[in-house]
Amino acid sequence: MPAHDDGHVHLGVATEKPAWDWARWLVVALGLGGAALFVLAFFHTWWGFWLYAPQYPGGLRLNIGLTGMSGDVKEIDLLNHYIGMSHLEDAAPVERRIAGYGVAAIAVVSVGLLVASGRRLNKLVAIPAFAFPTIFLADSFYWLYSFGHRLNPRAPLKIGTFTPQLFGNGKIGQFETFATPSLGFWLAIAGVACIVAAALVRSRVCAHCSRAGTCAVACPRMMVLPERKEASS
Amino acid sequence: MGAQSRIGFAIVALGVAVATNSCENKHEAELNAPAAASKLGASATVRDLMKARGLNEADVEAALKTYVPSGKMDEYYIFASGGQSGNIDVIGVPSMRLLKVIGVFTPESWQGWGYGGESEKILEAGNQGNHKIRWADVHHPNLSETNGDYDGQFLFVNDKANARVAVVDLSDFTTKQIVPNQLEAADHGGAFVTPNTDYIVETSQYPAPLGRAYAPLSQYKDKYRGVAMFWHFDRKKGRIDPATSWAIELPPYTQDLADAGKLDSDGWAFINSFNTEMATGGTLEGKPPIESGASQNDMDYLHVINWRKAEQLVAAGKAKIINGIRVLTMDVTGPEQVLSLVGEPKSPHGCDVTPDGKQIVVGGKLDTHTTLYDFAKLKKAIDDKNYEGKDAYGLPILPFKDVINGQVEIGLGPLHTVFGANGDAYTSVFIESTVAKWSYKDLKKPVEKLKVQYNIGHILSAEGDTVSPDGKYVVAMNKMSMDRFLPVGPLFPQNFQLIDISGDKMRLLYDAPIGNAEPHYAQMIKADKLKPLQVYPFGTVATTGQLDPNRVEGGKERIVHNGNKVEVFMTLIRSHFTPDQIEVNEGDDVTIHLTSLETAEDQTHGFTIDMYNVNVSMEPGKHENISFKADMPGVFPFYCTEFCSALHLEMTGYLLVKPKGT
Repeated sequence: MPAHDDGHVHLGVATEKPAWDWARWLVVALGLGGAALFVLAFFHTWWGFWLYAPQYPGGLRLNIGLTGMSGDVKEIDLLNHYIGMSHLEDAAPVERRIAGYGVAAIAVVSVGLLVASGRRLNKLVAIPAFAFPTIFLADSFYWLYSFGHRLNPRAPLKIGTFTPQLFGNGKIGQFETFATPSLGFWLAIAGVACIVAAALVRSRVCAHCSRAGTCAVACPRMMVLPERKEASS
Repeated sequence: MGAQSRIGFAIVALGVAVATNSCENKHEAELNAPAAASKLGASATVRDLMKARGLNEADVEAALKTYVPSGKMDEYYIFASGGQSGNIDVIGVPSMRLLKVIGVFTPESWQGWGYGGESEKILEAGNQGNHKIRWADVHHPNLSETNGDYDGQFLFVNDKANARVAVVDLSDFTTKQIVPNQLEAADHGGAFVTPNTDYIVETSQYPAPLGRAYAPLSQYKDKYRGVAMFWHFDRKKGRIDPATSWAIELPPYTQDLADAGKLDSDGWAFINSFNTEMATGGTLEGKPPIESGASQNDMDYLHVINWRKAEQLVAAGKAKIINGIRVLTMDVTGPEQVLSLVGEPKSPHGCDVTPDGKQIVVGGKLDTHTTLYDFAKLKKAIDDKNYEGKDAYGLPILPFKDVINGQVEIGLGPLHTVFGANGDAYTSVFIESTVAKWSYKDLKKPVEKLKVQYNIGHILSAEGDTVSPDGKYVVAMNKMSMDRFLPVGPLFPQNFQLIDISGDKMRLLYDAPIGNAEPHYAQMIKADKLKPLQVYPFGTVATTGQLDPNRVEGGKERIVHNGNKVEVFMTLIRSHFTPDQIEVNEGDDVTIHLTSLETAEDQTHGFTIDMYNVNVSMEPGKHENISFKADMPGVFPFYCTEFCSALHLEMTGYLLVKPKGT
């Protein structure tokens, strides 16, 4: 507290913080944390497939990431050629090329909305974050369906069309399959949780904000900028 | 007594026998416990099974000690000489199951060993003179050692008939090299390694003029010689380097088995001999046959070699070049004390250094003892020049009585000795058909003898000729099997008998028939010391371990015609060859560069061209270069020879050889 010449302590009105004002930095921290988790998720495997058959006692493994895949890709392709399935590497070419930009955009937009959106955009804050894993799941399902339904008619082995199981246990020919999300997916989910938490905290902050109800598209304080001085001692 | 009552008596006797038997079997109650029975199914308890199969308790115990259920692994590998098969047998212990036959000196069709691929180069390098040699009498496999212990990296083996040594790399169980000995006419005392595998010792057997020279038998004493070859092993390259190898000339005493010293006796080698009489036969002229001529003297000579000193003398330029090999002759080795002799009782056979390196055990063969030479005493006699005399070649003879620790009365025909833990020694006793257990520490009579079936030759034990034998197992390598196996005609299988030596008494566990040849020696190594490859790195030539510059990537397959030379760059993967049609003209020189694109374990293909004697095995990642002259016109299918997949039979193609003038 500043002490004046007369020895009295004057309380300045402008220094009196509204409730939840402290949480403005928490919103930013959660937002950046969520964005960081999205970026981290980008570098990890999102989905894992295990394929078991008698002649593969250790199983075959396929790891799906946002930009590509790893594991026994060659061997699975080799087996797939018998039933006329396309090469795994041919799946989702566009998605894999733009995935990096997509993740960057979602991270930037999420943080941007958390910091900058005003009353009119408030409800949209968490939507991009939600969209991130949802688009991945939907797209994966689309490709699995597409691969299982566009088998080469000249293949040596003719089996009916099918959609490989995206989650849990399945069966293709002599293979028992198991599919489950991997670290990357869970990191993304954690990121979404951060963004959602940030949005919830943010709604409290906004409710107590001195500009509550008066802001429009953009937040006049950009969440953490100092309140412009309007009153003084 | 009528026939009926005799049968009745027999049934009563059998009943008594069964009753007595079940009273004696204390463990049978346990075996019969409900838990054990229930696992065997409702209808068959262990006791029922024993009765039905005529097994006693000892049989059941042996079965429990040797049975390795599906999915479980053996504890040891045996690498056994393949004898006349020219190959190596790999056997698991305690199950005694055959795991693999490694193609070495002899073409082996499964591995495509010697049928047009890269392996031809290895076999060709093993030719002697202008003779293409395609058989071998494989004798003594030896595992590479580090500080006197097996390290599981390499295996060396000699071919007695054609004086050759082969190197097998245990990283892929493939033969990498065959070196023909240019001095010797036949070998026997090999392939024994020095404690750090610096050298592989290959000692000659039947003396002959060195380096394929000619001399009549009347000049036997002057011109015929034995030789101890010291092949230098370049461990980094995994190959014997003939250029840095050398040899020691030996008198024509018909040298036999050999062993390298270790620990105290490191730097020394010991070699038996059995024909110091220098008999050469001449039965048509009324002279005694060699077998009798060679068995007249009461003593033959153990050769004691200071190889470390020999190495220095060779480096100092004291060797004579014979047929391109540096040889230390007896006029150098005698005075320099590199080679000394000491008497050994009558036509001995085994020559085995004890694990501590302090003693050398010599099996008498025609003498009933093993004789134990004390290395410290040998060394002292040499240092003191305590000689009993010199032989006709000027080699010092050490006094027998001054250098031995003693003799152990073993029995009739003691041959080879291997070692267990705690000073136990196990000697094969050929004429008696027994294994004698004794102690090389207290030199008393055998504490136990176990009958084996029959005519035991070599014997082996778990890591038995290292500095730290494991005990546990001994295998009797019997020459005869007589009544042990189902009859298969007049040529009987050999009999490997697994013996449990972990208890106080030796217990015979299992008879394993060896139906592909008569093995000689074998070694047993702990399984966890080996970590062989499962899949080759893409484009590897197995015999060199190198990536081939002509390895073919998927999508880059092609056929290049250049005059009468045709190069085919071909790949294979389930279930097709690319290309699958090859057209050439009669007389073309064809080379097929063939790469397996497979990466999955155990996904092996084969490649054969019918009627062209071409056959290679294509393990995942392997590359082969196959060359042949298209000298037979016609249509020749090629196909995959391993049932690789559901479309294996479809994995085929055609070689079309267009006749001249069409």
